Amino acid sequence: MLSWLSRTASSSIGKKVLMALTGLCLIGFLVVHLLGNLSFYADADGAAFDHYAETLDSNPLLPIAEIGLLVLFVAHIALALRVTAQNRDARKKGYAVRTDHGARTPGSATMMLTGLVILVFLVVHLAHFRLQKAEGVSMAGLVRHELGKPLGAGVYVVGMIALAMHVSHAFQSALQTLGINHPKYTPLARKFSLVLGVVLGLGFATFPLYVFFLGGNA
Amino acid sequence: MSAHGSSDSINLTLHVWRQSGPEDKGGFEVRRLNGVSTHMSFLEMLDVMNEQLVAEGREPVAFDHDCREGICGMCSLVINGQVHGPIPEITTCQLHMRHFKDGDSIYIEPFRAGAFPVLRDLVVDRSAFDRIIAAGGYVSVATGNPQDANALPIPKRNADLAMDAAACIGCGGCVAACPNAAAMLFTSAKVSQMALLPQGQPERDRRVLAMVQQMDAEGFGNCTNEFECMAACPKGIDVSNIARMNREYLRASMCSAEGA
Repeated sequence: MLSWLSRTASSSIGKKVLMALTGLCLIGFLVVHLLGNLSFYADADGAAFDHYAETLDSNPLLPIAEIGLLVLFVAHIALALRVTAQNRDARKKGYAVRTDHGARTPGSATMMLTGLVILVFLVVHLAHFRLQKAEGVSMAGLVRHELGKPLGAGVYVVGMIALAMHVSHAFQSALQTLGINHPKYTPLARKFSLVLGVVLGLGFATFPLYVFFLGGNA
Repeated sequence: MSAHGSSDSINLTLHVWRQSGPEDKGGFEVRRLNGVSTHMSFLEMLDVMNEQLVAEGREPVAFDHDCREGICGMCSLVINGQVHGPIPEITTCQLHMRHFKDGDSIYIEPFRAGAFPVLRDLVVDRSAFDRIIAAGGYVSVATGNPQDANALPIPKRNADLAMDAAACIGCGGCVAACPNAAAMLFTSAKVSQMALLPQGQPERDRRVLAMVQQMDAEGFGNCTNEFECMAACPKGIDVSNIARMNREYLRASMCSAEGA
């Protein structure tokens, strides 16, 4: 009955469309996440950030949102692995000499690598701030504790460099995959994609840099 | 030769891919070629090499070619890692030896893609493209007398875009250059040239669904929007055609009755 839908979703274009849609949703999540995190800078004792964390935590819809996020991440990653495996299969015997033709960017050429780095970062990140979260524990204090360590700060900065590179290609690539292409807007979208990657990466990277070098709000 | 004339010929070290058949493992054969005229085309240089091989009683290197004027799409080759060589928007037959220096080493490989199996040496089987066209890359109309030229008004911009898409010669360079061996640029050019014109409308939805299905069945990779295809294309086919095909495919899949 819905064979046309599964046929569409499993086609080369369908898989990329699903990656694009899940990716754009994840970018939307990152923007909101960064805006929320900025409350960390609102005051010296981290009360605003703690209040933000508690408000999120006490929202009964949070588990549903978390399941939604999990579905987005799992779908995006599973599709990426499937697409990459197929792409490897499409050229089993490679070139002895490989010179790019000039269109690849550092972001576009490393999507799988930066994606995997982000995945590792995500596991560490969840271990830090999702699994250690407990009643009455100050989120701002937890951030200062984890990001004050050299390893903690390092993992976050590396993760955010990968994120910046990933998003710099991802946003405009998603639009192209969805067929959103226009002579007036596409050149802007390509530039915006780079800006978005840098703003998100740099924005999130300020937290480990701030905490590690300036000791946070202490 | 005069002092001036000596700069018109160069000595090269060629690393040529040799493979006796589809099942053979294949490998590079290194060959010195001296006194190559810089006025030769790349294929003429290979002709000279082959004449020497024949004179030595050996098998000449097999490579594809036909018109040798950049319009048939038959020549191929990956030269020092670049599809159709280092000069943008030309085919290998239009590449001249003046773009190489005396003493250069040149690696010559066949197009690499699972869907383009090597038949022999530098010749690959590109009939996967023919099957994509056969799946829907045509307009089924009864041909009769030509109608009045302006009976079907077509916006100038659409006519230009369709013409640009139709410039694709089907050489397969996009597949060879794609990091994923995807055939999106070729297929999208063929979908676009008809989606943009009134004659293509009756079969518009069926066409894109069938051509993409065939493209996938041939084992080409998935597009990751790196645009190496466009940079390598001898005809400068634009990746906006890929966006158009994505749009056409989604429209046909989600909004038309085709394939229900």
